[in-house]
Amino acid sequence: MNNSIKIAGYTIRDQMRHKSFYVLLGISILFVLMFRGCYDGNYMVNGKQVDNLAVAWHASKIIFQIIASGMFLVVALLSMKIFSRDRNDGSMVIFLSRPVCRWQYVLGRIIGTWVLGLVFMFILHLTIFLTVWVKTGATIPGYLTASLVCSVNLLFIITCVCFLSLFMPDFISALFTMGILFVGFVSDGGHQILSSDIARSALPSTVNADPALWRILYPKVFMLQAYADSIISKSGFTNMGPFHPVWNLFFFILLILALILISFNRKEV
Amino acid sequence: MIKLDSVTKQFGAFAAVDNISYEINNGEYFALLGPNGAGKTTIVRMLLGFIKPTSGRIIINGMSATDPKSRQYVGYLSENHMIPSYLSGLEYLLRHASLIGLSGKDAVVEADRVLETVAMKGEERKKAAAYSRGMKQRIGLGAAMLGRPKLLILDEPITGLDPIGIREIRTVLENLRNNGMTVVLNSHLLSEVEKTCDTAGIMYKGKILVKDSINTIVKNDETLEDVFIRYIEKENE
Repeated sequence: MNNSIKIAGYTIRDQMRHKSFYVLLGISILFVLMFRGCYDGNYMVNGKQVDNLAVAWHASKIIFQIIASGMFLVVALLSMKIFSRDRNDGSMVIFLSRPVCRWQYVLGRIIGTWVLGLVFMFILHLTIFLTVWVKTGATIPGYLTASLVCSVNLLFIITCVCFLSLFMPDFISALFTMGILFVGFVSDGGHQILSSDIARSALPSTVNADPALWRILYPKVFMLQAYADSIISKSGFTNMGPFHPVWNLFFFILLILALILISFNRKEV
Repeated sequence: MIKLDSVTKQFGAFAAVDNISYEINNGEYFALLGPNGAGKTTIVRMLLGFIKPTSGRIIINGMSATDPKSRQYVGYLSENHMIPSYLSGLEYLLRHASLIGLSGKDAVVEADRVLETVAMKGEERKKAAAYSRGMKQRIGLGAAMLGRPKLLILDEPITGLDPIGIREIRTVLENLRNNGMTVVLNSHLLSEVEKTCDTAGIMYKGKILVKDSINTIVKNDETLEDVFIRYIEKENE
């Protein structure tokens, strides 16, 4: 385990050596700061002034999801090259010619990338949190907790991309993972819409229809986002199936990790 | 120190290593010789656990070569050694030192010692991207020597180097003779082997044709090159 932590540390340091990392972080923060104008305006609806705090709260929820989605793409791009780059620049030989188990190497690389993604996303969410606080004097309880909850999705994406990159070209593995997320987005998003009050009243017959088994078992990335949203809103969360999205994703993460370790153990260095 | 017991490695139908058995004793300075494609690098990769034998077993220090613990006291230098371009020589050495359990001041002192040994003192803070091939090989050799390993595996360490690079590496290798380290030198540069090694094994088409002391293999007015060619030609008849 000690070796995994060391390798995770190297992973973070190595990523942070690249100028592109800081450029990406800087651009992301600037992008997020662009939204601060949302908290300044006097919004009028039907001639009535809308409460600034309500606007800030709604805007922050939307930005929360935009940041998370952007981070999905960033971690997919970061993790797609983990194994191929290590093979090409000699890093894999550094670790595996030493008393390091293969599982320690794999775990170290994945944990390092995840921690980096988690901190990156947390900084962006924290920027929004602080902007709201500075502009309105109010805080959004649960915003940062929701950010940490979303990090489970980052871990799922990293493991998924890493696993696929063992069998297919790097970019295709990232693209394939995005495809998996998109299918989940359509399936779970559809369920969320049909479970909404508006859909219940407009289409009462569809509400009672049980979703197909594959939809219940499918990786619940979008559902976890909805759950994070419910933490911010302090509203109820409509789950699909008996398993909470956190457990669903933990199951898939462990399953994919096991598959990575089995496959990587058979790989020749 | 090293025991190969009926080791075979097949890649599909092709046997890169074909039922090889031999032992390398403690303190032996052993050269594994053979033309390109003889199976030398495959053996080295199996010694390091990079690939697993199709059959047979490899024991290093009483442990299976597939057990990562067997690499605790093993140093390895590959042909055309690669160092991540964003690391300096010192950072590279410290990373290796950390993985064998050296940290803090101990790691720095040990890195300093090997930098002196491989004559890279003063160059250690440059990024690997600025190193020549010879410098990379020397840093790689330094990394392999960190923590005073009991076994040093050198896979074609001087292939592709210019004469000055070859001389630098050879000097380091000759100095290793006196410290009791077991060395496995994988090479097809026979003149170099003759100068540095005690024992040699000649490999061809996945088989060991002979393994003995160089003095026993090389007779009368022959050179190691003559012996090598004699064995290969005999095998081709």
